[in-house]
Amino acid sequence: MLKNFVVPIASSMLATGALANTEIVGSVDSKCIIISETAGIYGNPNPYELTTTPASGGVQPIIRYDVLVADYYKAVIEHPVSFSSAPTLDDVVNWEGDVEVSEVSDTNMADYDTNKVEYDNAHEYDLTVAGSTWFKISSTADYGYTKSFPAGTYTAIVEAECIPL
Amino acid sequence: MKRLSWALVGCLLYSPHSYSEDIYGTTNNAAQFGLNWVMTNILPQYAGLEVNGLVYQYTAVKDPETDMIVYVQNEYADGNGYIFRNADDWSGLPGNTISKAFAFPNLPATLWGPGSIEVDGEGKVEDPSVFYSYKYDPCFDPQVDPSCPGYEEPIEVPEIPIYDPLQDELVQAEMERKNKLQKEEEEQERQRRQREWAITNALEELLSDGDNPGLIDPVAEALALALTSRTLPNSYYNLLDGGEYLETVVLNGGDIQDNAKARRSNLAQQLLHQQMVDSQYESGQQETK
Repeated sequence: MLKNFVVPIASSMLATGALANTEIVGSVDSKCIIISETAGIYGNPNPYELTTTPASGGVQPIIRYDVLVADYYKAVIEHPVSFSSAPTLDDVVNWEGDVEVSEVSDTNMADYDTNKVEYDNAHEYDLTVAGSTWFKISSTADYGYTKSFPAGTYTAIVEAECIPL
Repeated sequence: MKRLSWALVGCLLYSPHSYSEDIYGTTNNAAQFGLNWVMTNILPQYAGLEVNGLVYQYTAVKDPETDMIVYVQNEYADGNGYIFRNADDWSGLPGNTISKAFAFPNLPATLWGPGSIEVDGEGKVEDPSVFYSYKYDPCFDPQVDPSCPGYEEPIEVPEIPIYDPLQDELVQAEMERKNKLQKEEEEQERQRRQREWAITNALEELLSDGDNPGLIDPVAEALALALTSRTLPNSYYNLLDGGEYLETVVLNGGDIQDNAKARRSNLAQQLLHQQMVDSQYESGQQETK
C-alpha cells in the first residue's frame, strides 16, 4: 500500500514539471598589485624648467608592482606628457621622461629594463618573475624656449597599469 | 620613503599577538660597517629573544656578461652549517638593487652565529643593509620584574655569623684542661712503668743470687729434703755392677793453650753487662726513693 501511495505522487510531480536556478559565485583577487611608494616632486632649478632630478631639488616617484604569479601580467608605465593641473600656459611645454627598474626582489628581474618595450611615453615590461619590482620615473618639463613658468602649482600624473596577458 | 617601505615589511613580519606581552623590535643595519658581522653585537641581549624575520638590500655592481653569485647568510652559532643562507645569482644579468624579506618561525637568538655577505664571481656589492626583526618576552625570567606574572618575592636569608668553636674561650679552657689531664696521665703512666721496671729488675737481681736466704721457704725445703731422703724399696730397682767411668782426655801435642782473644772478649762483655745492671739498679733505687 505504501508503495502504491508513493508512486502516484511522484508521477504527479513529474507531470507538473520543475525549474531551478542555482548561482555559482566566484571572486578573483588581483594577482598584480600596484603601490605608489614615493610621490614625486618637481624641482625648479631654472625658471623654465621643472624636473624630478634629485640634484635639482626634485624627487623621483617610485611605483612598486607586486606580482603573485609570473608570466600573466605586463606593466605599462607612462611618464607625464602634460600637466593635470597648472596655471594657464600660453606656450609649448616640452616633455622628457624615463622609467627604469630601481629595485628588484629577484635577480631575474634585473633584465626587465633590457627587455622592455618603449613607445611614445609608455614603457612596457613583461612581468616574468613573481615578486616585487620597483620602478623609478623621471620627468622634466621645459617651457617654451627658455621661457619662465608662471607662478603656481604644477601637477603631472604618472600612469601605471598592470595588464593581464 | 624607504623607511616607510621597511616599516611596511616589518609590520608584515611582526604580526603581533594581542594576548601576548612580547616586545617586538628591529636591529640596526648589521652590514653598516662591513660585509661581516657578529650577531651578539647586533641583537639586543635579552633572555629568551627570538629572531622572526630578516630583510636585506644591496646593489650589485657588475658587467652583465660576467657571472656573480651573492650569498647573504648566517652560520649556526655552533658553526655547524648555516641557519640562514640565500643566494642571488646575477650571472648573465645586469646589476641592480635587490630587496628581499624572510620570515622565520621564532628562532632563538642563541642559534644565530656570524653573518656575512659573500660574493662569488666578478662584481661587487654596494650599500648593503641587513635588518633582523625579533621579539622577546620581558618576563621570560619573572624574577627580573615584580610586575611579571609568576614573580616570587625573594626570601631574605638572615646573615648567620660563622661560629668557630676553636675560638670559643670555654672550649679553649676545656681543651687546655684535657691537655693537662692527658699530660698528667701520661706522666703517671710513665712513672708506673718505671716503677714496674725497677721492681722487675730488683727481682731479677735477687733471683740471680743463690745465697739469698730470704728466697728459701723452710717448708718447701723440708718437703724437698723429705722427698730426696726417702729410700725406695729394692724391688723398685736393681743395682748395677759397675763403677765410675772416668773421663779420658787425649791431647795431641800436649797442653791446651788459652785463647787470649776470647778471654778478652768475654771479659769486655762481662764488664759491659755489669755496668748495665749497675745503672739499672741505680735508676731503680732513685725511683723508689
